[in-house]
Amino acid sequence: MSVLTYAKINDSVIASLEPPKYKWYLSMLIILSALGAGLFALGYQIMHGLEGSGITTPTFWGVYITDFVFWVGIAHAGTLISAVLFLTRAPFRTSIYRASEAMTVFAVITAGLFPLIHLGRIWNFYWFIPYPTQRMLWVNFKSPLLWDVFAVSTYMSVSIAFFLVGLVPDFASVRDHAKGAKKYFYGLMALGFRGTNIQWVHYMRGYLLFAALATPLVFSVHSIVSWDFAMSSIPGWHTTIFAPYFVAGAIFSGCAMVITIMIPMRAIFPGFGKIITVKHLEALAKMIIFTGGIVTYAYSIEFFIAYYSGSQYERALFWYRPFGELNGFFWLMVLCNCVGPIPLWRKKIRTNLVALFIISIVINIGMWLERFNIVVTSTAHDFIPFVWAGYTFQWVEIWVTVGSFAWFFMWFFMFVKLMPSLAIAELKEGLTPPLRHKCQHCLPASGSYR
Amino acid sequence: MKKKFSGYWATFEFLDDLCGAIKELRSSGYKEITTHSPCPRHEIDHSLGDPQSRVPFFTLIFGMVGTVTAYTMANWMSVDWVLPVSSKPLVTFIPYTVIAFELTVLMGAYGTIVGMLFLIYKGTRAKTFPISKEYKEYNRFLNDRFGLVVSCDKGDFTKVEMLLKKYSAEEVYNEG
Repeated sequence: MSVLTYAKINDSVIASLEPPKYKWYLSMLIILSALGAGLFALGYQIMHGLEGSGITTPTFWGVYITDFVFWVGIAHAGTLISAVLFLTRAPFRTSIYRASEAMTVFAVITAGLFPLIHLGRIWNFYWFIPYPTQRMLWVNFKSPLLWDVFAVSTYMSVSIAFFLVGLVPDFASVRDHAKGAKKYFYGLMALGFRGTNIQWVHYMRGYLLFAALATPLVFSVHSIVSWDFAMSSIPGWHTTIFAPYFVAGAIFSGCAMVITIMIPMRAIFPGFGKIITVKHLEALAKMIIFTGGIVTYAYSIEFFIAYYSGSQYERALFWYRPFGELNGFFWLMVLCNCVGPIPLWRKKIRTNLVALFIISIVINIGMWLERFNIVVTSTAHDFIPFVWAGYTFQWVEIWVTVGSFAWFFMWFFMFVKLMPSLAIAELKEGLTPPLRHKCQHCLPASGSYR
Repeated sequence: MKKKFSGYWATFEFLDDLCGAIKELRSSGYKEITTHSPCPRHEIDHSLGDPQSRVPFFTLIFGMVGTVTAYTMANWMSVDWVLPVSSKPLVTFIPYTVIAFELTVLMGAYGTIVGMLFLIYKGTRAKTFPISKEYKEYNRFLNDRFGLVVSCDKGDFTKVEMLLKKYSAEEVYNEG
């Protein structure tokens, strides 16, 4: 195998930005068709109200809130990989962090749409924001729903800023090889970066601080999302385990999504196979094993606490989940999230990319079902048996959900063709620098350096 | 008016050559040195005398502004439009800590960007750079070459050029 050099990294990444081929256009056509269907469904809902969704009394939170929590969860792995693993100096981070960070940004943009879609009257979304109305009526800062507005919008702003700041040196690298309008575009995005020592010293310190700020943010955002549920008194929601349980679940699903995206990406771009190695994907698989264990533990302890608390409502709800009319979703969730990752304990399986890809999709499905179980079963089966209900999926919410996946992949497909999808400068930083005198005492070898 | 650049710029293939040249230039009294590199390398920082960044100062100030703004905003708005809920106090801190945390991070992040841009601008303005087309259009600094820009008087040109060539500089240009 040929040795990676600074120039080879540049060439591989710049080659990925060449004009797309017909496969890209074909994929984009499918994506845009699905997005069109989603937008049509959304338009129908705006015209006719929430009748096209399965939301009904008492199930006021349905597929839209499930989608919201699912996409926020997906967003988490990107920041975890880019910020937390940057601070802990994990060596496998460099090759995968740019694409996972892009995934974060697009997932959080997608997630942010769902509370608005769920409103029904989407045009009143700005009522969330504390602004001086005519009556000087302010928002309720004690409500966890408002905390969520602040948490998700901060997360979105910070992750977009972190993403773009990380891209600056790489935009500059691409600019130096581009011509015409492309040179102008990348030059504008590179903000005049030329890799001087003045630029690097402030840039690296700023980047470190960004990582330090983003790290608690990762854990806080999904904790706050979990408090949307846990701060209420609804059976199945009112538990203190929710914050860590949601965070672990988010990392679990996010890592699975990174694998789902990375495996096709390294197959499509020829140079990427040497940079995103099987070892890196295996490290992600290990993270899935770990967080999957936490998720399974959380599922079990929820049942134990429902029994141990002595609360009849909790007990009734936790009987309803596995044995009630929505039990299919529960058992499928257990199968995907608790049993699905077990094969990854074998090295042979977690280094087999086909198996890894399939397991990652199974986990994605399982994690959507987990959110559905949490959101829907508790509202469908609360304190008053008179209003207990099941859940019937309606065409509008199904197409809006399909459209959200299309929306996410549309951004991602544009990203891989417009922006360097691997972090050029950081990959170079991880290599042993070009030295005339290979004196290992003078300069540290790669890996030990950062 | 800003001083015009007078000095040399050179390119290097190897990092140890660049670091050697920087050290010798500094010990010979040439303090205004700028480097170019494809990625950040601490070896260059060590050769340049470990310059420190004051970006954390901006992060801290902006972050503190975020904290104070959040607590003030939430408390003031709660008092401005009284919305009593379950006898909970209007002026309080614990539930507003979530808002304060988010605004601290948000403002801290913006402060980091502002600090980074300001300090880079300030640091770059304080130095002079070659204005030749060759320098401006040289496109391998972020690819696979290291660069060095050193300001010196015309009288020192020969000495500096010899020093750069001693450390195997690939291309050496003077200006001014």
